[in-house]
Amino acid sequence: MARMKFICDAERCIECNACVTACKNEHEVPWGVNRRRVVTINDGVVGQEKSISVACMHCSDAPCMAVCPVDCFYRTDEGVVLHDKDICIGCGYCSYACPFGAPQFPSNGTFGLRGKMDKCTFCAGGPEPDGSPVEFEKYGRNRLAEGKLPLCAEMCSTKALLGGDGDVISEIFRNRVVRRGKGSEVWGWGTAYGKAPHPDAQAPTEQKS
Amino acid sequence: MLLTRKGDAGRRSPSGSASHLSNSLADSLSRALPTMDRRAFLKRSGIGVGAGIAAAQLGLIRRAKAADGNQPAASKIQVRRTVCTHCSVGCAIDAVVENGVWVRQEPVFDSPLNLGAHCAKGAAVREHGHGDYRLKYPMKLVNGKYQRISWDTALTEISAKLLDIKKTSGPDSVFWVGSSKHNNEQAALLRKFVSFFGSNNCDHQARICHSTTVAGVANTWGYGAMTNSYNDIQNAKAAMFIGSNAAEAHPVSMLHILHAKETGCKMIVVDPRYTRTAAKSDHYIRIRSGADIPFLYGMLYHIFKNGWEDQKYINDRVYGMDKVREEVMTWTPDKVEEACGVPEAEVYKAAETLAKNRPSTVIWCMGQTQHSIGNAIVRASCILQLALGNVGKSGGGTNIFRGHDNVQGATDVGPNPDSLPGYYGLATGAWKHWCAVWGVDYEWVKKQFASQEMMEKSGTTVSRWVDAVLEKPELIDQDNNVKAMLFWGHAPNSQTRGLDMKKAFDKLDLLVVIDPYPSATAAMAAMQVDGQQLNPNRVVYLLPAATQFETSGSVTASNRSLQWREKVIEPLFESRTDQMIMYQLAQKLGFGKELVAKIKLVPGKGGMMEPEPESMLEEINRGTFTIGYSGQSPQRLKAHMRNMHLFDVKTLRCAGGKDKVSGYDMTGDYFGLPWPCYGTPELKHPGSANLYDTSVHVMDGGGNFRANFGVEKDGVNLLAEDGSHSKGADITTGYPEFDHVLMKKLGWWDELTDAEKKAAEGKNWKTDLSGGIIRVVMKNHGCHPFGNAKARAVVWNFPDPVPLHREPLYGTRPDLVAKYPTHDDKKTFWRMPTLYKSLQQKNVEAKLYEKFPIILTSGRLVEFEGGGEETRSNPWLAELQQENFVEINPKAAADRGIRDGEYCIVSTPTGARIKVKALVTPRVGVDTAFIPFHFSGWWQGRDLKEYYPEGAAPIVRGEAVNTATTYGYDSVTMMQETKTTICNIERIVA
Amino acid sequence: ADVALAQYDDAAKSAAVNPAPPTAQPAPATTQDSQPAQASQPLQSIESIDILKQNQAERTRDQPGNLAPTYRIIKQGGKNYSSLPALEAGVLIQPKAQFPGQPHATTAGEAWRNYRNGPLTHIGGWLLIAAALGVIAMYLIVGPLRMKQGPVGRLIERFTSFERTVHWTTAISFVVLAVSGLTMLFGKYVMMPLFGHGLFGWLAYACKNLHNFVGPIFAVAIVVTFITFVKDNFPQAADLKWLLKLGGLFNKTHVSAGRFNAGEKLWFWGGLTLLGLIVSGSGLVLDLLVPGLDYTRGNLQIASVIHIVGTVLLITAAFGHIYMGTIGVEGAFDAMATGLVDDEWAREHHDLWYQDIESGKVPRVRTAEGAANANDATGPARA
Ligand SMILES: Nc1nc2c(c(=O)[nH]1)N[C@H]1C(S)=C(S)[C@@H](COP(=O)(O)OP(=O)(O)OC[C@H]3O[C@@H](n4cnc5c(=O)[nH]c(N)nc54)[C@H](O)[C@@H]3O)O[C@H]1N2
Ligand SMILES: Nc1nc2c(c(=O)[nH]1)N[C@H]1C(S)=C(S)[C@@H](COP(=O)(O)OP(=O)(O)OC[C@H]3O[C@@H](n4cnc5c(=O)[nH]c(N)nc54)[C@H](O)[C@@H]3O)O[C@H]1N2
Ligand code: HEM
Ligand code: HEM
Ligand code: SF4
Ligand code: SF4
Ligand code: SF4
Ligand code: SF4
Ligand code: SF4
Ligand SMILES: [Mo]
Repeated sequence: MARMKFICDAERCIECNACVTACKNEHEVPWGVNRRRVVTINDGVVGQEKSISVACMHCSDAPCMAVCPVDCFYRTDEGVVLHDKDICIGCGYCSYACPFGAPQFPSNGTFGLRGKMDKCTFCAGGPEPDGSPVEFEKYGRNRLAEGKLPLCAEMCSTKALLGGDGDVISEIFRNRVVRRGKGSEVWGWGTAYGKAPHPDAQAPTEQKS
Repeated sequence: MLLTRKGDAGRRSPSGSASHLSNSLADSLSRALPTMDRRAFLKRSGIGVGAGIAAAQLGLIRRAKAADGNQPAASKIQVRRTVCTHCSVGCAIDAVVENGVWVRQEPVFDSPLNLGAHCAKGAAVREHGHGDYRLKYPMKLVNGKYQRISWDTALTEISAKLLDIKKTSGPDSVFWVGSSKHNNEQAALLRKFVSFFGSNNCDHQARICHSTTVAGVANTWGYGAMTNSYNDIQNAKAAMFIGSNAAEAHPVSMLHILHAKETGCKMIVVDPRYTRTAAKSDHYIRIRSGADIPFLYGMLYHIFKNGWEDQKYINDRVYGMDKVREEVMTWTPDKVEEACGVPEAEVYKAAETLAKNRPSTVIWCMGQTQHSIGNAIVRASCILQLALGNVGKSGGGTNIFRGHDNVQGATDVGPNPDSLPGYYGLATGAWKHWCAVWGVDYEWVKKQFASQEMMEKSGTTVSRWVDAVLEKPELIDQDNNVKAMLFWGHAPNSQTRGLDMKKAFDKLDLLVVIDPYPSATAAMAAMQVDGQQLNPNRVVYLLPAATQFETSGSVTASNRSLQWREKVIEPLFESRTDQMIMYQLAQKLGFGKELVAKIKLVPGKGGMMEPEPESMLEEINRGTFTIGYSGQSPQRLKAHMRNMHLFDVKTLRCAGGKDKVSGYDMTGDYFGLPWPCYGTPELKHPGSANLYDTSVHVMDGGGNFRANFGVEKDGVNLLAEDGSHSKGADITTGYPEFDHVLMKKLGWWDELTDAEKKAAEGKNWKTDLSGGIIRVVMKNHGCHPFGNAKARAVVWNFPDPVPLHREPLYGTRPDLVAKYPTHDDKKTFWRMPTLYKSLQQKNVEAKLYEKFPIILTSGRLVEFEGGGEETRSNPWLAELQQENFVEINPKAAADRGIRDGEYCIVSTPTGARIKVKALVTPRVGVDTAFIPFHFSGWWQGRDLKEYYPEGAAPIVRGEAVNTATTYGYDSVTMMQETKTTICNIERIVA
Repeated sequence: ADVALAQYDDAAKSAAVNPAPPTAQPAPATTQDSQPAQASQPLQSIESIDILKQNQAERTRDQPGNLAPTYRIIKQGGKNYSSLPALEAGVLIQPKAQFPGQPHATTAGEAWRNYRNGPLTHIGGWLLIAAALGVIAMYLIVGPLRMKQGPVGRLIERFTSFERTVHWTTAISFVVLAVSGLTMLFGKYVMMPLFGHGLFGWLAYACKNLHNFVGPIFAVAIVVTFITFVKDNFPQAADLKWLLKLGGLFNKTHVSAGRFNAGEKLWFWGGLTLLGLIVSGSGLVLDLLVPGLDYTRGNLQIASVIHIVGTVLLITAAFGHIYMGTIGVEGAFDAMATGLVDDEWAREHHDLWYQDIESGKVPRVRTAEGAANANDATGPARA
């Protein structure tokens, strides 16, 4: 079973923000909610500047999931971390917990009124039937169900952003690294947790049906 | 606790989904590695996979309610292939349309240009289908407010006013600013339109973009265009970006460039700023803005000194290198460092890298062109490549990244003040050629003009329209000032000297803006400036034009490939296509019939007739032999668009394959038939991927330098030396261009058919409407119709035949002005008096460098395009850059007590004081500041929102840097100096 | 421990995996561009290059494609450049944090998550259960404190209607907050299995919104409560004795007290004032109502931890107060319900206060309404 992952190749990312607007476009994400964003480290410092695009990393041991007071997260067979907006109470705890700042809220949070959490779905929709209108309204498109991959990665200007089956993309990335030199690093879900950037090192996630 | 919770209804069989996924994955990712044979991978299952799903959810995706009215009963999903409208990379887009509403946008992995990739702008173009902030209907400025009027009223009033101005002040009193965003057909139609109005006073963005490149490069070797392609950079072993920030301005080009880098290409970036492109380089060199020639000559110095030049190549194919060499050898490393700030070791390293890693390419863009010596800078770059023997080679060349999506095409066939489509010039012969193509009487056209003299005199330029309005009438080289301005797809905040421009706006009699987003011009015209006089008789009209997604037509990417855009949606709101507006306005002006004499009309919006794009392209094909726009018939282009997967990503060539729809065999074609694609479509010239490549047969897109400047100069041979001919040519020496005389002399005349002979008699290859001369020369004899000559390192018809460094008019270095002063003033230059030395001297004497000690440069942000009105109206983009800013070095900021994120004032010698946020960053050096130019809607700290037509103000507004930019124009093309001026930055003390 | 650092600190990694120092690799003539003359140089410089101190430019020069220095910066969790004006848009990974008792710093989000889901829920949960059991035990073992003598029928206005309103506003909002807050904290474990996802989700949503709006009411209410009752809550000499004898609760001896006894004062100062302020302050932060504060995740995590600790302690203490105010002390609830107490009740529980009333130092009734009520209540009894 494919385990979906993202890798952002900082040697290629040029901070062009295509991934960001592709996501907005595909899912009609409102102003203020950024399922994906691009960050530049050492901006303007000669030889040291690197940009990285980040969204939800669909963590194997997802802190958001663990902390949600209403337990509205779930994980698909493909390892995508999704949540149920019908149950979400907009408490913001997932955003406190998430290392990457992935969870987003449509409103400013005064009086705790954040609205329902929204985050990158790996273009996999939500709990409603695949491709249904309700699903689109709440979570955006379900590209995975259509046999497509995340649009952010598909449209990435330099193919810095790789999204898809962890085995495949790490292979692609490894090839690049080999060509470039030695010991490259990878911006992946392992970064925050210190696990190998190689998804099969992960125990498969529990599945209940 | 973790559950896989998913409604059973929506559950697919896991194995099914996995195979879909892995197919799609393998396919899309294989494209990420252009070296792999991606075509061998499983075909992407395509949009069809999702069609069922898409159909189910369409009800709610329909955001653009405007189209609800005319929906067919059953929902219909169509995929229309179009091309991004935001830059010259030419990324293809599949637009998914349901019931006339653009519901979705998919990447086109098959495109050899972009392999599905986009930048922020391209990934957000679907917003055009929403058009929330567009002008929705025609409007007129009444008592300082824009009021809705009908199309008919608008066209009637505008045409009456135009005819009145024409009658009282002459046709030259109207200035038409066309657009690099028009497709080729519209651009060519506008040039014809202006001609029939009786004037050459038309221009478009190319003037303020690559005019210096076009002039400088064309005068060096023939055609003023990118020699190779983005894709071909994959073959380069070294690449130097000098004055190009491709990562922001041509982001998808980086797909090819980074791939090249990963396979060993050494990447050098020479720029005053450490840009996102520089961040990807192996070697970054910080240069003082405006000092490219000292740097390039510094490199050439080492090249000559170490004997790295390609002696044989220079001997065979270059004229005048010895003269350049003399100048170069005066640029000793210390002088170079003094002038451009780069130490010898760095210059040496760059020279060595390019010399020892051939083929190496040089890439430039606005950093070189937008200077008062832009023409000389670009020629210095050409000379560098000629010295290294890199031109005419795959992996080499001068990769000049063009600007707008169709600036190349609009330059080639559009509204230029000094030429007719295809650079035909304004001489009688050229007029006659085009009149024949257009199917109109030459004498009739002549009558439209003030005189034959005016008919053959270049018009003024978009960079100087302000002066054409304001300058004393006796000082300008036409009868009257310009009194009417039509902005037909061009923003105001892209031209310099905003303060003067506002005066010009207020002095006009008529201002018409035809644009989907005319609002920046609208607001600038409507706003009131204290104490400034306003012409009480001025009238202002705004007409909503359709975007390129609401019409079809061809668009020329930077690499000269033409792509055909299908119409995605019907024109939104009350907007109309540009060709419809041109036709309707022409009818009102009395030359409607002539405008479409040879063009088919088809029903367009609301059943009204409009010229058919296919038919317009065929007209271009019929006339544009010079630069080979004759072979790209709509049928061929459409076949290419349908079969993108057949074209190789590295070579752009089709190995073989037939279009299923038309049966057209694309074998051997280069994608998009990059011009020159010579002769008639029937000749089946494949287009030219890399220009001047003698290792390739002309019928395979090979070539050599053009014989455009005579056969000898002062006794020196200008034609190529023996043996340096294109592969398989019957003539193995240099030769001049072909005309009927040469054909006869060579005994090739009889190879023409009788019909061809008839058409070709007395003509040359450019004016022979049968294309017969070209056919015989190329197909039968493997020769190049434009001859085979040397490139010119010395362009004797330019002010500085050998490119010379000259300091900008506004600079911070009086010591260098003393050594490298600018040109002498010009009395009439493109109809305008133009200042150089007198102004430069005045500035030095006034010690402006003390009051304005920081070099101000400007340029692009990846999210916005041009004047920015379109992109700042797109929420998906606007959110990413919400305020204009000035990049200022931490030290310069600290000296002024300015902190990151604070507003500050940038002041320039024009008296402008613009308010922008400080972005304190080491991207710029201490002596330099940078402001993106995409903002407008603030005027020296004041938000102009109230002056915008209601509902048409973009989401993000900000201060336009061009409110503050200064005087300064290129000495050949009138390019405005936007890359080097001076400023001071002040902290705002409350 | 710090697996993360070890993983991304390639120095450690390569040292472990690969005994040869990484920079020594170019020595063999495998790479085309390694020039023989320089071959020995890297070896020399090894001692001097502290690989951990290399910046990205230096690292790229030595090991192209190695981004360890960049990842070190990322893992520091600082603010980097992002064109989005959103707060923390430039933070790729949250910085590290370590809450009291945690063995080492981890990514703040994780630290917080572990703290909340770990000690705070566990200890907090047990504490609350213990408090509840304590109260039950009190009831079963000690039982309610009844008045030793019957009422005399003369009434004192102990709490004016204003005082009662203030108290009950505080009390009711507290209960609402406690119930709704606890639903958020423990509902997932306790209620969700009972109600199922959908219903619990709905309930939690209601609770959360209730909590977020009632919180500020509570915050205001405690301030007013404080002002209202502070003057009688200053410590007195008798309080110490009261405390030493534990209010005589267990040995049923008499202990002197003023209007409020030391236990009540403890509740006043410790519960209402200290914990109330802590809970309200952190609550207002969590509600994003405090102006001028950067609502970073880090700040909210801290506020959350403080809030949870404060609320758990406050609820624990409140068990005591509520017990005493309802069934623990006979007549107490009436005092807060009607405002009136019998002379005998006052004498038994708050003798010092009663003396003051008798001596006229403190008026028997303070409001017209109180006077009327007192008369209403006493009138018939007398007659
Ligand atoms: N996102 C986006 N993309 C665009 C456009 C857009 O508006 N937005 N516009 C399109 C158009 S019209 C064009 S023409 C191209 C322009 O594309 P570019 O020319 O690449 O973009 P610019 O930012 O104008 O300028 C390039 C660089 O020149 C540098 N520079 C300034 N002065 C000098 C100098 O004197 N010498 C040298 N060597 N460098 C200098 C600037 O620092 C800047 O980094 O982009 C096209 N693509
Ligand atoms: N300071 C400074 N100034 C600069 C530059 C710089 O680097 N620094 N760069 C210069 C360069 S290179 C350029 S090219 C210019 C660019 O500047 P402009 O070309 O003036 O800017 P754009 O916003 O691209 O203008 C295109 C206009 O066409 C409209 N449009 C789009 N599609 C259509 C259509 O189909 N029909 C019609 N009728 N209109 C349409 C858009 O709404 C927009 O208003 O700016 C120049 N100015
Ligand atoms: C007696 C007082 C209070 C108690 C017992 C209490 C209890 C709680 C509890 C148990 C939580 C859940 C924590 C978690 O699940 O991690 C919580 C959360 C919260 N409390 Fe309180 N609280 C009290 C007062 C307040 C006050 C006065 C405010 C605001 C002024 C406030 C605002 C909040 C907020 C904003 C949250 C976060 C919940 C969310 O937004 O979903 N609380 N409280
Ligand atoms: C449902 C819950 C509550 C009940 C039943 C209750 C009951 C009472 C009663 C009966 C009294 C009067 C005691 C006396 O006469 O000496 C009292 C006093 C008081 N209560 Fe409560 N109470 C509750 C909740 C609260 C809360 C949540 C607070 C504050 C956080 C609070 C603060 C006070 C204060 C300040 C006094 C006055 C005693 C003093 O100032 O020391 N009460 N309460
Ligand atoms: S990245 Fe954040 S939101 Fe996504 S799974 Fe991990 S913790 Fe949850
Ligand atoms: S905001 Fe929603 S998803 Fe996030 S923790 Fe709260 S309830 Fe769960
Ligand atoms: S995977 Fe889909 S939802 Fe996630 S960031 Fe990319 S486009 Fe957005
Ligand atoms: S699209 Fe690709 S290159 Fe552009 S910012 Fe996103 S990840 Fe980086
Ligand atoms: S703006 Fe240029 S690079 Fe970006 S998507 Fe459009 S064509 Fe491609
Ligand atoms: Mo441009």
